[in-house]
Amino acid sequence: MHTITTTTPAIDLRNLTKRFPGRGSRQVVAVAGLDLTVARGEIVALLGPNGAGKTTTLDMILGLTPPSSGEVRTLGLPPRAAVAAGRVSAVLQTGGLLGDLTVRETVRMIASLIPDAAPVDEVIGRAGIAAIAGRRVAKCSGGEKQRLRFALALLADPDLLILDEPTAGMDVTARQQFWETMRADADAGRTVVFATHYLQEAEAFAERIVVMAGGRIVADGTVAEVRGLATTRTVSADLEDPRAGDRLRAMPGVTRVAVTGRRVEIAVEAAHSDRVARALLTDLAATDLEIATASLEAAFVAITDDHTDPIEVAP
Amino acid sequence: MNPTFIGLELRRVIRDVPAMFFIVVLPAFFYLVFGAGQDYSDQPAGNGNVAMYVLIAMAGYGAATATTGIGGFAAVERLQGWGRQLGLTPVRDRQLVAAKTVVALALGVLPICVVFALGPATGAEADPGVWLLSGLALAAGAVVWSLYGLCFGLAFRSEAAVSIGSGVLVVLAFLGNIFIPLSGTLLTIAKFTPLYGYVGLARHPLTDGVNVDGSGRQLAAEPLWVPVANVTAWTVVFALVATWLIRRGRSRQ
Repeated sequence: MHTITTTTPAIDLRNLTKRFPGRGSRQVVAVAGLDLTVARGEIVALLGPNGAGKTTTLDMILGLTPPSSGEVRTLGLPPRAAVAAGRVSAVLQTGGLLGDLTVRETVRMIASLIPDAAPVDEVIGRAGIAAIAGRRVAKCSGGEKQRLRFALALLADPDLLILDEPTAGMDVTARQQFWETMRADADAGRTVVFATHYLQEAEAFAERIVVMAGGRIVADGTVAEVRGLATTRTVSADLEDPRAGDRLRAMPGVTRVAVTGRRVEIAVEAAHSDRVARALLTDLAATDLEIATASLEAAFVAITDDHTDPIEVAP
Repeated sequence: MNPTFIGLELRRVIRDVPAMFFIVVLPAFFYLVFGAGQDYSDQPAGNGNVAMYVLIAMAGYGAATATTGIGGFAAVERLQGWGRQLGLTPVRDRQLVAAKTVVALALGVLPICVVFALGPATGAEADPGVWLLSGLALAAGAVVWSLYGLCFGLAFRSEAAVSIGSGVLVVLAFLGNIFIPLSGTLLTIAKFTPLYGYVGLARHPLTDGVNVDGSGRQLAAEPLWVPVANVTAWTVVFALVATWLIRRGRSRQ
């Protein structure tokens, strides 16, 4: 019997690698030597473009697919053991549902496979699907199906909850409701790791953001830290003669100058933004000047741009 | 055993009206038309009459159709992501296989019960031992057809593939001496096809191996080992193909 203390990390990945057979004798490396530790109680967003290796990484944490090399510990246990013990649960992006079952039957069916499952009606209530409990799954919208998957994940009352694109297919209202439910759950001390495309979700809900690209971790930190990794700022102002803005191209650190009507927008490295602003105000008589630090989105694009292609290697 | 899981699985199939038509209504209809409804139905055949001879075949056809569907959809469900959902629970593969086998058995028994229940009221006659042994052979042998369905589901990964499997089953039923009595070269070929062994085995308690040709003439008795060897060989073939397809699917994951 394993004894687990609360100091055991919720997730511990060591040099985790997953290769898939590609075309011919080539192999695609979906996850390339990942090292990651998630402590108990953390709420972590896994961010990255399509093909970054997010789903594959989550699959290995859940024991749905074995790693090609490296080590996974989920709550200190081999992943299958953690799942078998009902300690970890997940909302899967591609988790299939049976269209000919009703919502309630689906919950009952999965509940029957989990020892000490939470009561079916309670879980249905918490996931907010009581109103559609009698509906066939095939007739549910994408958002309703996601809520059902969420209900299934709550059955085990897990210590670690993995969410892969949990709000895919939900409209804005449904997405907000979902995260409210999640927040209430996370306050209970549960560790939550979620993959998402929506930067706002990562920003609003996560304490820590792990950015993946090309099967690797390219950034890891708080929302502010990750945002700070973007080193460009945007300086914009109105000019009497917008063509004068072209002169700014030659200034150090300027990467882009765009003109829309009288408005000129200059992308510049953070260290040089003051000089560009000064030039605008003093030499070019600019008005209505604004300096914006990069959004998380800009940081994200900057960080992941160089790494988006999955690596292909000969065996 | 998990009664909730099995109960819900059974409920899914039972309320699927088209599926129930092919599993229960069609075999019963075929029996009434090709068996009970024919002039020759009350003619003697082995330890019973011709109506019984047709009845066993149609019950077998229904049972095979039922388990083909269960096996096929089990594969398709897994490949389409339900397997990932189940993978998040502590349930083990062999428990799921056991549950699906119980479901297949229960649904295979359904057309057997319905057709067998129609029999005595519509003129099918046989010694009590024949009813019992034929029924048991049909029920046990039906499970083999879930492997056949599994192969189609695993190979083509779509619900349409399972329908194709059921369609091929109709061809195999003709070759299996089920719809029309075969003789000569066609019968020789038939002996190598899978439904022939299954139905032949179930008919053996009635016929002692004596088949009847299209004109009602009795053919030379066939030893019991022929259908036994047929069923054994095809079970091995289906199992090997299914295993190979599962391995292939896994390496592609």
